[in-house]
Amino acid sequence: MKRTMLAVALLATIATCTHAATLEQKVVEHTLKNGMKLLLVERHTSPTVAAWIRFRVGSVDERSDERGIAHLLEHMLFKGTTTLGTKDYAAEKPVLDRIEEVAQALTAEKARREKADAGKIAGLEKQLASLEADASRYVIKDEFFELYSRNGGTGYNAFTSRDGTTYLISLPSNKLELWAAIESDRLQNAVLREFYTERSVVMEERRRSYDADPESKLWETFVASSFLAHAYGQPTIGWMSDIENLTRSKAEQFFHSYYAPNNAIVAIVGDIDTTATIALVERYFGAIKPGKQPPPVTTLEPAQAGERRIELLADAEPTVIMGFHKPAISTPDDYVFDVINMILGSGRTSRFYKKLVIEKQIATDIGAFDAPGHRYPNLFVVSANPRAPHTAADVEAAVQAELELLKTTPVAARDLQRILNKMEYEEARRMGTNGGLARNLTEYEATTGNWRYMTEQRSKIAGVTPDDIMRVARTYFTRENRTVGFITKKGGDK
Amino acid sequence: MRRLIISICFLLSTITAVCAADFQPGNPRTMKFPELNFQIPKAERIVLECGMPVYLLRDTELPIIGVTAMVRAGSVYEPAAKSGLAGMAGSVMRSGGAGGMAPEAMDDELEFMASAVESGIGSDMGTVSLTSLKKNFSRTLQIFRQVLLHPDFSEKRVEIARRQAIEGLRRQNDDPKDIAGREIHRAIYAGHPLGTVPTFESVSAVTRQDMIDYHRSFYRLDRMILAVSGDFDRSELLKELNAVFGAVKNSGAPDLPNIAQPKQQFQGEVLYGKKDVNQTVIRMGHLGLTKDSPDIYAVRLLDYILGGSFTSRLTMEVRTNQGLAYSVGSHFDIGRRFTGSFIAETETKAESTAKAISLMKGIITDLTKEPVSDAELSAAREYMINSFMFGFTSPASIVTQRARLEYFGYPEGYLEQFRENIAKVTKADILSAARKYLHPDAFKLVVIGNGAKFDQPLSMFGTVRELDLKTTVPK
Repeated sequence: MKRTMLAVALLATIATCTHAATLEQKVVEHTLKNGMKLLLVERHTSPTVAAWIRFRVGSVDERSDERGIAHLLEHMLFKGTTTLGTKDYAAEKPVLDRIEEVAQALTAEKARREKADAGKIAGLEKQLASLEADASRYVIKDEFFELYSRNGGTGYNAFTSRDGTTYLISLPSNKLELWAAIESDRLQNAVLREFYTERSVVMEERRRSYDADPESKLWETFVASSFLAHAYGQPTIGWMSDIENLTRSKAEQFFHSYYAPNNAIVAIVGDIDTTATIALVERYFGAIKPGKQPPPVTTLEPAQAGERRIELLADAEPTVIMGFHKPAISTPDDYVFDVINMILGSGRTSRFYKKLVIEKQIATDIGAFDAPGHRYPNLFVVSANPRAPHTAADVEAAVQAELELLKTTPVAARDLQRILNKMEYEEARRMGTNGGLARNLTEYEATTGNWRYMTEQRSKIAGVTPDDIMRVARTYFTRENRTVGFITKKGGDK
Repeated sequence: MRRLIISICFLLSTITAVCAADFQPGNPRTMKFPELNFQIPKAERIVLECGMPVYLLRDTELPIIGVTAMVRAGSVYEPAAKSGLAGMAGSVMRSGGAGGMAPEAMDDELEFMASAVESGIGSDMGTVSLTSLKKNFSRTLQIFRQVLLHPDFSEKRVEIARRQAIEGLRRQNDDPKDIAGREIHRAIYAGHPLGTVPTFESVSAVTRQDMIDYHRSFYRLDRMILAVSGDFDRSELLKELNAVFGAVKNSGAPDLPNIAQPKQQFQGEVLYGKKDVNQTVIRMGHLGLTKDSPDIYAVRLLDYILGGSFTSRLTMEVRTNQGLAYSVGSHFDIGRRFTGSFIAETETKAESTAKAISLMKGIITDLTKEPVSDAELSAAREYMINSFMFGFTSPASIVTQRARLEYFGYPEGYLEQFRENIAKVTKADILSAARKYLHPDAFKLVVIGNGAKFDQPLSMFGTVRELDLKTTVPK
């Protein structure tokens, strides 16, 4: 029995698979009249589908009194709509409005810090708790999640970055209409219920992800110190006092400014029929009115005019992070940085690994990458853990020596070819999962303006010459353009 | 062709735009869906001339081939005095050169082809894996074979691995979550190899010869299963695999060292580690069960209802209702060879530490008292049955899953009957599983944080033993 099934399965594989189509051949684009961009790829490997919605709004779009709102709003958009997540919205709404009044008064009183009236706070807290208990009678908890899960949905999640906010789910392919119904409802009729409890959840998220983890805390401090003016410096989750002062009204305002179909990119990848899927999306999303186009961030980070050194005292072993300002994604020099990244930091043949980990053995691990976002000018970052007794300073000096070498010695042709070979492999590999492909399509469409960045990057990189690398290294790897962050062990030797 | 599709779509969208006014969106609560035809994908099982089983699944979507070898090895088989040996040996198999090929030459050749060969040894399995473009497969397979069967364990690379392990130990108390994760396992598996962790002494005691001996005794052709997927030609592949592994049946391997099951002792304990942080890391748990228990289906549903989903009782109460944590949950890690564990976990601000612990213990205890609701059971069941197909989304996951089932000795038909077995579970089954496998009074409770700021002293949960988190590096 086993054998026969097998033979059938093998035959089926051979018969249905067209041979290695390129991404360019596989992606179908469609733009709705309201501006919503749809990217579709048919993959019939399994009867599943991944659906990702990316909004072109992230923490970089926040004003200083809204820091953390993009991320908190992302949490809030799991709380339901006027029809889902509630037993009776008409009865619930007045209670939600009362909650907002009391919570705003409470937030304002607490913001007075040491001048605040403790008695008033206690009274408002009591009032808020009783209103929240009242409101909870109407709530159907996490109904989106419940509906998706019962239908076999997995990986229902969302994430917020500096550049964007993405909502994702994988479903059995016969259930895609459920996604269309829930997501179009969420876009039009979201209700940010349970806001103030969720705000506490986000504070715990902040403690967990940044406050209590020394390496992440260094990272947050390092990035903030690298940008004086540009919003890339502020942490996506917000500083603690920012989160404490966010309100539902602020979140709703932000939602209405940025969550419109013309600001959304949708990727649907998997076991779909392209034509029917476009029709489905048209039916559910086509009538949603476009919003106004959100303005770009106009702040330019002033050129850094001297090295910045950031120390974090922590109950942890030393870590060092070095950063250099560089241009945004898909600019000519950014492609040169792609090459530099890979030469210095990718794999066991990379220069950092060979020199610092294997030859000198002064670090246990070291990496190079771009951060904290891509839409706007960002940083080339090197991050490493020194190996005792070697210090952060030893590692820094060895990294600097490698950067100097790039300025003076042309990179060998074989090193450049290795990078192109690696990209050829990656281009194939990243088409191998529905979710991975949906992620890349939405990410690159959003950050570069065109998903074809994925197919064009290799040819751009093929055009990078050894001279380009030396020029870029000389231009950007300067002392004044450098920020160095490091952990010093509390109560350590120094 | 693509143009054509696009123009058809444009046509369609014009039509739908016209009809948009009449469109009634479906109700997510009652929506009906077309039938979905899902057959559990099979992988072909063949046996090489040397006797090694191989699972195969061909898929030509991408010009890539992947191979995984699963080897009967694991850190459970290393002596406590050399704890860390297996992990280090697994890593140096790859980093230390093989078959006379120097480490640098191997790295260079593999990365120039954009191929990867990686090796590692976990608690009860060794793996060596390969990925490569189809065009570079034959050469990559040669290197894969050398790493798997003939690693050279370069003295220099052995030393680097040791130094890295020592640096890792220096850093093991930096992140409170790492401390708690390690300490709960040590407490649950006290006295068993699964509860042994590497120390400066044990890692320093590991020699190159230990690695060579370890590899020689475990990496035998009759203790391996292979999983191959991707864009291969079946007959070419079989020819190559037989050439690579030879025709000699290497049988009669001595039995694996007999490692006893962990002792079934359930005794509560409170372990506290001091870290000056604003959030406390909390872990609690005890021993669980193995895959051979008939209760695994009830336990999987129990797991989902208690702490395995966003709508689980733990998440719903601790996070959604009370806002005490971002991350909260619990998990039965069903043991494959050895008894598994049950661990519940969260992190909460120092000031709500005791509150969160009490709340979680209470929620867990409730499950041993009253049956779950019909709605909870049906939600858990529907999720497990309807999402089952996500275990089969790539050819690589299909073949490695099949190989893993054979490796761990799962019964024939395990996957085929999984959904049916889940569907059969009743509320009474879940209650009896909860009573059998949950013992909140016997939890090992690990708490890492700043005790001075806790809302209540930890002593309310039992006698507290403080962990020594000072890292004293021997000179």
